[in-house]
Amino acid sequence: MIVGTRKPLAEIQDMLKGFDRILLSGCDTCVAECVAGGRKEVAELAAALRMAFQMAGREVDIRENSVDRQCIHEFLLDVVEQAESAQAVLSLACGAGVQALAAHLPEIPVFPALNTLFIGETAERGLWLENCRGCGDCLLGLTGGICPVTRCAKSLLNGPCGGPKNGLCEINLAREFNPEVPCAWLQIYERLMALGQLDRLMQVARPKDWSQGDAGGPRRVLRPDQRP
Amino acid sequence: MLQIAFKNGGNDYLMPEVRTMSRKLQIVVLACQQALPEPGRLAATLGNSDFKGRVVAEPCSSKVEVFQMLRILSTEADLLWIIGCPEELCRFTEGSFRMGRRVDYARNYLAEIGLETQRLGMSRIPPGDEQALTEAAAEMQRLARSLGPNPARSGSPGGEGVSKP
Repeated sequence: MIVGTRKPLAEIQDMLKGFDRILLSGCDTCVAECVAGGRKEVAELAAALRMAFQMAGREVDIRENSVDRQCIHEFLLDVVEQAESAQAVLSLACGAGVQALAAHLPEIPVFPALNTLFIGETAERGLWLENCRGCGDCLLGLTGGICPVTRCAKSLLNGPCGGPKNGLCEINLAREFNPEVPCAWLQIYERLMALGQLDRLMQVARPKDWSQGDAGGPRRVLRPDQRP
Repeated sequence: MLQIAFKNGGNDYLMPEVRTMSRKLQIVVLACQQALPEPGRLAATLGNSDFKGRVVAEPCSSKVEVFQMLRILSTEADLLWIIGCPEELCRFTEGSFRMGRRVDYARNYLAEIGLETQRLGMSRIPPGDEQALTEAAAEMQRLARSLGPNPARSGSPGGEGVSKP
């Protein structure tokens, strides 16, 4: 799923300067799971903005809305209809959702309420970890299902480096992480050992084709059988 | 003046408002029904002072969401208080603990808004502990008095027309 966090309220208020009718639109899939942009978070942010505007002496009409997937055009019809009476839309979706909504609202500005961070998993309640960088050339079959591109701080394809201590990545020395960041290559080793597949580590990963990732410009997937 | 708390439909216990030229400060309490089995008594205690009180019975304090706290502060309350059980007595095991975390999170929002974080308070009261409840009510009244009207409440232009006890 896509993981994001809310922007500071001051930044959001600054974006909304000069608008008196604002629609807040949430997305009830990824960003709801990471408790940043679902309908509850829309309600929180709406109440917070009402208070902030009240304290600033501004009368602002704030409406709330949420759809299952803001990145899929069919789900946006309700938002588009409600947005027609608004001067601006504040989207709590990921960057893809914000852009999909903006594409449907050529005359109404759409602002992001979140900073979109990464593709990740819910590791524990309240803890989301980045574990896929969308590199376009997946190595997980070699590495026991643990991604070294994402989870190794140096993205080493043949690790580990000489830095880990007590199973922890040396990046923990650079700043404080809670919980601490484990060495991904140690995790890969332990996982392959448990699977009885340590021989996979004898296979040297070849130089990676980074052009399949975000180094190659905007990516697209085309499925002729799905096209209209 | 004799005031009697009455139950208003669902789980709300209200005090009849004494209408004056200016409105009274409003204290809203969301209380776990185990920690506070008789919410009407707290409503009466708050209403017998110089405040308007509303007490809402909750199945557990952890059922109170952050958006509800913020909505109540944005529309109604000068002071909002959540009452739960001591953590070790919570029937939902970690409900009271969760409530504390949510209150902290909502207070962060208040800090960002520039509103006093003390306008959102909480207590953990053992079921039936009258003394703890009395102390909590006194703390609510003291804080409401010292903080005065909530400037972030809708329809409250800078606190004009609000009497500060």
